[in-house]
Amino acid sequence: MKEIIVVENLQKHFRIAKHHRGPGGTFRNLFSHEYRLIRAVDDVTFRVDKGELVGYLGPNGAGKSTTIKILAGLLVPTAGNLVVNGYIPWKDRKTYVARIGAVFGQRTTLWWDLPVIESLDLLRFIYQIPKDRFQENISEFRQLLDLDPFLDTPVRSLSLGQRMRADLCAALLHDPVMLFLDEPTIGLDVVAKEHIRQFIQHINHQRGTTVILTTHDMSDVERLCERVMIIDHGKLLFDGALEMLRRRFGGKRRLMVDFGEVYPEIHIEGAQVTECNGQRVVFEFERSTITASVLIGRLSEKYRIQDLEVREPDIEATIRRIYEEKLLDL
Amino acid sequence: MRLFYELGLRSLQRQLVYRTAALAGLATNFFFGIIRISVLVALYGSRQEVAGIPLQGAITFTGLSQATIGILSLFSWYELMNNVYTGAISSDLLKPMSLFHYWLSHDFGRAVGQLLLRGLPMMAAYAVFFGITTPDSTWQWIAFILSLIFAWLVSFSWRFLVNLAAFWIPNALGIVRFAFILSWFMSGFLMPLRYFPDWFVKLCAFTPFPYTINTVVEIYLGILQGPAIIQAILAQLVWGAVLILAGQLVLRLGIRKLVILGG
Amino acid sequence: MIHNFSLYWRLIGVQIRSQLQYRLAFFLDVLGTSLITILNFATLAFVFQRFGSIAGWNLGEVAFLYGMVEAAFGVMDMLFSGFDPQNFGRQVRLGRMDQLLLRPLDITLQVFGSEFIMRRLGRIAQGLLVLGVAIAMLDIQWTITKLLYMPVVIVSLVCFFGGLFIIGATITFWTYESIEVVNIFTYGGSEMMSYPMNIYQNWLRQFFTYIIPAIFLIYYPALYFLDKPDPFPMPGFARFLSPVVGLGILWAALLFWNYGLRHYQSTGT
Repeated sequence: MKEIIVVENLQKHFRIAKHHRGPGGTFRNLFSHEYRLIRAVDDVTFRVDKGELVGYLGPNGAGKSTTIKILAGLLVPTAGNLVVNGYIPWKDRKTYVARIGAVFGQRTTLWWDLPVIESLDLLRFIYQIPKDRFQENISEFRQLLDLDPFLDTPVRSLSLGQRMRADLCAALLHDPVMLFLDEPTIGLDVVAKEHIRQFIQHINHQRGTTVILTTHDMSDVERLCERVMIIDHGKLLFDGALEMLRRRFGGKRRLMVDFGEVYPEIHIEGAQVTECNGQRVVFEFERSTITASVLIGRLSEKYRIQDLEVREPDIEATIRRIYEEKLLDL
Repeated sequence: MRLFYELGLRSLQRQLVYRTAALAGLATNFFFGIIRISVLVALYGSRQEVAGIPLQGAITFTGLSQATIGILSLFSWYELMNNVYTGAISSDLLKPMSLFHYWLSHDFGRAVGQLLLRGLPMMAAYAVFFGITTPDSTWQWIAFILSLIFAWLVSFSWRFLVNLAAFWIPNALGIVRFAFILSWFMSGFLMPLRYFPDWFVKLCAFTPFPYTINTVVEIYLGILQGPAIIQAILAQLVWGAVLILAGQLVLRLGIRKLVILGG
Repeated sequence: MIHNFSLYWRLIGVQIRSQLQYRLAFFLDVLGTSLITILNFATLAFVFQRFGSIAGWNLGEVAFLYGMVEAAFGVMDMLFSGFDPQNFGRQVRLGRMDQLLLRPLDITLQVFGSEFIMRRLGRIAQGLLVLGVAIAMLDIQWTITKLLYMPVVIVSLVCFFGGLFIIGATITFWTYESIEVVNIFTYGGSEMMSYPMNIYQNWLRQFFTYIIPAIFLIYYPALYFLDKPDPFPMPGFARFLSPVVGLGILWAALLFWNYGLRHYQSTGT
């Protein structure tokens, strides 16, 4: 079977007790049984094939983490069907979890006081990894992730980037078929982010590990994902190729330029001036109309450029547009 | 002085936020009180008075000691120590005020908070359920309140001094705990010191600890009368002064070490 | 089964090693906590010098109770550290449960293996010391049954307090604010059982006879060990109910715990 994840009409609802405010509020809180219903995951359906690298995007509170938790077997859905790698994650937890790996950006899966290598060794026992396979993986990851400098350092003394690399190694030691990454590049510097992305790509291409990646960072998506799913308010708004997302909803990109002098009027074909602050000018342009390099070329022919920066439309804006478009479609 | 008030108030407010937790703690303390009372009643048996303490006084003691333990925080106080370990002390030293003064005000607020949240409710509960004795005269009340304040001063300066070990020892938790256990044992919290053998009481007199809970209790119950009260309060003051001075000295040494050696 | 067991040892090993990292601090910690039990006993001894006895129990007999309870509580506190309600509640709110759910291991086993507070050894040692002193002071008529029953009573106490810890930890799945209340039963309970329970007022004693049958855990066995008469005539087998109560509470606690786990998995944090 080609499909590794089958999700049908997944629902996850939370009941939050209504909190009354004000002086009489405390009293009412004791007695009221009023609840707000939050649909964190609202009728989500999708399938993922083996070996895919899928981006799962959405603003904060959209339902990303909830979906991932359900997929990872940490949370029981309210309704719907879910089969991952032939298991129902939350039902067959112990057997299911032995075949998947997960890295949550904010928390580590390693033991705080232990040197990294000892944590990894402990995991060897927990996952019952054969000794030679363990050694093979360790040597490969040590090289790819450059773990040697801190293998003997306790996890609590690691920097964020080091910890992330250690966590990635830990998640893959037992050769999982499926990898869940929840914000793996959050808080890292640009260089570290690039290394992590390279590693994820390597794992996906060389080992065929299916990867589900949630992120806030469009650059992560651009670099790694061929397919993206966008969720907002619990609903799946978009599920398709990244290229299609860009083309249909990409929105305007921005070029911020610091010119060598103050120009009284700036006109350029293919882009509009949105801000003008002395030497700093901001242009907006459509991806479909003109590429960044062509625009820069045109500008440099006519004006003296000191410095520039290309800004992608942020995901929130893109999603808002998708949401509005979907509403229009309906 | 204004600063003292402000800091204290902030500390007090923070205490009052944890109202529900305080209630739970109160319930726990009350339960312990019931056990202690049962033990004392059984110990007294048919006796009306032991070592100058009548049964009702002993019962009042259990409530009083529970009520004051929070105020004096004799059991555990590691805030300054943790401050040093986390490095927060560096930003404190940048502030234009005496470190001792800062912690004094902070702790006073905390003590008042404990008084309101645990001390008074505890005594009220005791009064309702078990009946308590109260000081006979206004003078006794005044002496009691004074001794309570000085007891807090003695307790605070001891805790402050002990916490300063953090400047020299990387993991002083064990030592500090050890010091607190000693003070707890000799403070007269478990049982009025009068019950203990004379030689032990004499030994304790060489330490500041009886002048925390035990003195307060003895004044309240009227065990100490007239000149004895004045003597006791003076002793509190003397010990308080000694500990404060020692604290200031050690603090200065500690800061110097911190500033010179860093980390 | 064996895999689980050996994993438990490894997890405990992790805890032990990280605590022994600071040798001196650990030693002082043990010393410090040891002292509490001894000083408590010293207080008792001093007070008994003046009062003589309590409700017909002399120092040795009370020390017997105290030593047993302290040793057992220390063992429980060490084994069940992972379930300490205040600590567990905090871990749940930090999201640590997710970490446990992600591993192909039994959750309960992982919680057991998550903490192992070594300095409790101090309390255990002191408790045994006090017990030893008590036995030396008393003139117990030992029989084979009594000798065999002693460890059983200690284990029953461990199970009882452990069960209370587990119940407290389970409660933190729902609420954390007033979890201190559990201390009434754990620390309050152990304090209460350190004295002969005939000193307590009827209502209190009956609560701990019929609602939470703690009286059978150590008081009745003590009557048996010390050959003391029963002031509240209970059937003869009352002295052997200790394991029934201990294991019963533990079993009920585990049922509640499993229910709490299922609830946590369906609602998350």
